[in-house]
Amino acid sequence: MALNALSENASRLGMRLQESFEEHTRDLNLRGSASLFDAPDLKNIRKQLDSTSDREKLDAMKRLIALISKNRNLSEYFAQVVKNVASQNLEIRKLVYIYLLRYSSFEPDLALLSINSFQKDLTDPSPLIRAMALRVLTGIGVPMIGSIVVLAIKKCAADTSPYVRKAAALAIPKCYELDQSHLPALLPILTTLLRDRSPLSIGSATVAFQAVCPTRLDLLHQQYRRLCRILVDVDEWGQVELMELLTRYARTMLPRPSGEEEEEMDKDLQLLLTSSEPLFQSRNPAVVLAVVRVVYYLAPPSHLPKILHPLLRLPHISPAVERVVLSYVLLISSSHPALFAPYYTRFLVRTDDIRQVKQDKISLLLNLITSDNLQAILREFIDCAEDVDEQIVMAALRAIGRCARLHPECMQQCLTALMTMIKSGHDVVVSNAVLVLKSLVQTQLQVPSSSLIPSSSTQPPLAIISHLARRIDDIRHSQARACVLWLVGQYSEMDTKEPGGGGLEGIADWAPDVLRKTAKTFSNETTEVKLQICTLAAKLLVLSPTSQPLRLLSRYVFSLARYDANYDVRDRTRMLVSLLAGLAPTLDEDGERGGVVLRREQVRRVLFEGKAGIIENGGGALIADEDHGMIGSMGVITGRDMRGDRHLPFWLEQGIASSLRDTEEDIPVVSFTALSSAQAQRSLGSSQITSPAVLTPTEGTPPGGIRGGSKGPWTDLDKFYEDDDSEEDGSENSDEEQDDNVEHEDEEEDGDGEEDDEDEEEEEEERKGEDPRT
Amino acid sequence: MAIDGIIILDNSGRPIIQSGFRSCSPAYPLLHIDALNNALAKSTRVGDVDPIIYVPTYDGRDALLPSACCHILCGDIRIVCPVSGEVDPLFAFAFLQGFVEILQEYFGTVSAATLKDNFDVVYQLLEETLDSGGHPLTTSTNALRDIVLPPSLISKLLANLSTPGAGGMSPATGAGAFASPIPWRKAGLRYNNNDIYFDVVEELRAVVNKNGTPLSSNVWGKIETNAKLSGTPDLLLTFTNPQVLTDCAFHPCVRLQRWTRDKSLSFVPPDGHFILLDYRYVPSGPASAVTGSGTPGVRGELVHVPIVLKSLIEVNEFGGTLDLTLTSRLASRAMENLSAELYLGEEATGASCMTSGGQWGGGGAKSLPGDVSWRFDSKKKVLRWEIQNMPSSSTFHLRGSFTSGAKNPRPARALRIRFEIHQHSFSALKVDQLRLTGEGYKPYKGVRGRCVGDVEWRW
Repeated sequence: MALNALSENASRLGMRLQESFEEHTRDLNLRGSASLFDAPDLKNIRKQLDSTSDREKLDAMKRLIALISKNRNLSEYFAQVVKNVASQNLEIRKLVYIYLLRYSSFEPDLALLSINSFQKDLTDPSPLIRAMALRVLTGIGVPMIGSIVVLAIKKCAADTSPYVRKAAALAIPKCYELDQSHLPALLPILTTLLRDRSPLSIGSATVAFQAVCPTRLDLLHQQYRRLCRILVDVDEWGQVELMELLTRYARTMLPRPSGEEEEEMDKDLQLLLTSSEPLFQSRNPAVVLAVVRVVYYLAPPSHLPKILHPLLRLPHISPAVERVVLSYVLLISSSHPALFAPYYTRFLVRTDDIRQVKQDKISLLLNLITSDNLQAILREFIDCAEDVDEQIVMAALRAIGRCARLHPECMQQCLTALMTMIKSGHDVVVSNAVLVLKSLVQTQLQVPSSSLIPSSSTQPPLAIISHLARRIDDIRHSQARACVLWLVGQYSEMDTKEPGGGGLEGIADWAPDVLRKTAKTFSNETTEVKLQICTLAAKLLVLSPTSQPLRLLSRYVFSLARYDANYDVRDRTRMLVSLLAGLAPTLDEDGERGGVVLRREQVRRVLFEGKAGIIENGGGALIADEDHGMIGSMGVITGRDMRGDRHLPFWLEQGIASSLRDTEEDIPVVSFTALSSAQAQRSLGSSQITSPAVLTPTEGTPPGGIRGGSKGPWTDLDKFYEDDDSEEDGSENSDEEQDDNVEHEDEEEDGDGEEDDEDEEEEEEERKGEDPRT
Repeated sequence: MAIDGIIILDNSGRPIIQSGFRSCSPAYPLLHIDALNNALAKSTRVGDVDPIIYVPTYDGRDALLPSACCHILCGDIRIVCPVSGEVDPLFAFAFLQGFVEILQEYFGTVSAATLKDNFDVVYQLLEETLDSGGHPLTTSTNALRDIVLPPSLISKLLANLSTPGAGGMSPATGAGAFASPIPWRKAGLRYNNNDIYFDVVEELRAVVNKNGTPLSSNVWGKIETNAKLSGTPDLLLTFTNPQVLTDCAFHPCVRLQRWTRDKSLSFVPPDGHFILLDYRYVPSGPASAVTGSGTPGVRGELVHVPIVLKSLIEVNEFGGTLDLTLTSRLASRAMENLSAELYLGEEATGASCMTSGGQWGGGGAKSLPGDVSWRFDSKKKVLRWEIQNMPSSSTFHLRGSFTSGAKNPRPARALRIRFEIHQHSFSALKVDQLRLTGEGYKPYKGVRGRCVGDVEWRW
């Protein structure tokens, strides 16, 4: 009986459990929020936001966020959302923050309602909440609360947690952007943050410095050496910013390294170089590049080889990184080709590279050619000419041409390769090969001594032209056709010394045939080609004025050209006909015309001589000069002016006295706080006076121009320093002890009452356990 | 240096998620999305788009604001990062890479579907990793996991079942955040089994010319680590042959001074997956160690390519024929997931091939049908030949023809061959020992080797 009842009860209980479980799981969306994302509905959002259930609220907030993704304007829900800003549920609160940050500018008045709650959160025991509160408070962007924000930043800048101090540093530029008159209040906070012992917040302090007062490098004198030493422990993004700032500082404040000798370098510059070099081993490509910049723009040339291997390593990281780094390598290689030359195999063109990478690699290989790798690189270009991408084919062929011009010893090889390509079935290859050949032939014929070509050359330039002339029917690309026609006209005369040959007197035997063939197709040619046909006809006529067939041919051509649709062609014909009036009066159908009639020699001079030489405009025109784009700048990649101000200042001849960088221990008279506030006051008083720390010539760092106009609340500042004085002294001292041995602080949430002895206790505790970096 | 924000696009080019572009006009992100989609549509070959696109944008007063659109492809999504002004694009790409790693850590696979499933988490991640001024904030996954809860079944159950009102802060968020003294490691971890696994993954990248001589071949390696250790362990990892490593790059946790001193890795690991070390393998030992002076033995640094391809490709009018023979040069190991790809040109319309092979020197079982296959991808115009398992010293053939709409088809001048070799490493890098200080337990250490190859073979 009992057993029966028990089992009955158990089964009933089981049923109940199952029922309630089903009930709960019915709306338990285990598949995730995709349905919420794809089809969010606006029904009930208001009601849900007002409900007491966290789940309802969360659901409503998620739907709102999904709608934000769809670019809907949702500012109408602002009032309901703001009410949830103090929700106990962290997830809801975060979503509310996301919403607030996007829509606060639409509803500044309602946004003010949330301020109280953020101010309360600034005293929350959790550093996460404190940091978040500050971030949203500054992000809301209501100018009215500017002074509240400044106070909040000041409070957070003195926080025990470095994460909160980091948030404080990042808040400074936003506050400054909102209202520039806050600058006098923000500057002292910034200097405090730059003195932070923890490397965690240094990066953000640097960001703030660069945004708020980039020219006040004089504020850094006292920090320079410590910042250099701390560099390796800063987070990766901070390292990039800090190296950028220190580079600028070094260019402005340190003497230029004059000689090659290590000893001649300024100690402080050497410190920066030695402390950034380990970062070549960072996994972050941006950090590695920042170090490359430090070495490239600061160190004497003898240090340059150091950047080689880090730069060669980067392209492997990802195709996008490869694309960027190649542009920089190209830039560097144009002024230091020898550096990369032994490693040319790293830049071989792969078929699956993207177009830009292929083009950069070709230009780069061209820069890297030495007598050792000439053959290999030339073969690479010839391989590239078979690429599927027409642009690459063009680039490769041009590279071959350039190669032949710069390195005459491989001229023969290049010519052979180009001649083979003319036989190719592909239009692009043929036309580009012809263009390159033309310029090569021209260069060769321009040098009368023909010192460029070995005399035993099997392919004299004229043979090339005759070869091209015979293949005129196969060359369809209009530019290439025009090119061949011009070559034929220009150089057909040379061949005359050979006796016999059956051709016309004074002209190579292949030339008139070209005119015959093209005269037949005249009406189907492009303008470019038509112009060249006319010129060819005129030139041949000048060379052999007595030949009857030539006369007839050219007359035919000119009469076609005379009535061409294109006025360029008509103009050219008219010009040529009147030029030739003395030789072949029959050409002019209009009959007699006044004016000067030229003799044959004169016409010849006009038509054949005074041709411009070849203008070198191949790639590799980039120079890694600071005027022509810098390494690590977007301008180099896009090839356009990006309106940035990342140009480095030029070196000062002398630099400023290094004693300014000595820290307090060396000059006990001037305490840092006194100096900096004195500076600040002075600079406020008059924008002309250079503050005492800046002994640079006037064009160095103008300390003026970055301060806001207002005379600021100075009582506040003093109070600020008074409050923090005791703490600061303690920290400065321990700073000196730990210079080589930077500690990560233990950040417990002790609230705000940080006192010296407590501080030291914490450090003692830490010292035995960790310091994971040294 | 700052970026403007992040936009995540699905494979049809529509935005899924975007960060708030507060300092720009509302049209700004749209212009970038448009520029990218245009460039993608214009590209002749799928995916051949410059990862940086110049986008001229205008502010309210019609002044030109030059900006650039940096983008990467990740699975079926594209992540776009608009940048304005003079910023190093590497900064943007480094951040994008970091962000993708975070997404992978949180969601396993990164795809449009998973991101849509967890869009609220992605928004929270964006908020924590990127300051509204465009400066990266917290990018270490260890620290992030304290701030943004990774989606899990448990957290979903909790969120759904918690009784209304009584929930309060979720226990895992807030309390532990930012409490760790080491930025990259969570505090207070406890594991029952303390394990750490090292996967040595090496990639051979080589270019082989028409005659079968390698022009360049480099091996890039990395040590993927998965640490599940309690407390704050301080590890010391030593290798028996550290001289094979060069051009190293380390995770921030590694003490660089110690490495310079005695080539051993001393570090307090982050929790979970991370990449401890990237390196390049130098085959001929310290003799050819790169000094930068003289002529470094470029020839001497070549790594042996473990495969031979004999190819006979003829291109005729409107098509061509192929005859490929692949032979493994490995004496004792099998290659897996081998694939050879040939781009047949823009106008290619189809291909038909026959595969055969599997005769190998030692004699043995015939390879299973289905092990070897070929297929023509009509979108990418690529002929792909796959061999699931290629035993040592075996030979495989592919014969066939392709058709093309162009009179003179222009297939790519090289085949791309990829393969994997398990339980093997080109460098034979060996872990000597792992010592742990600072904690009382002895960890279990697992070391595995894996190789992948990516060879361009010109024909």
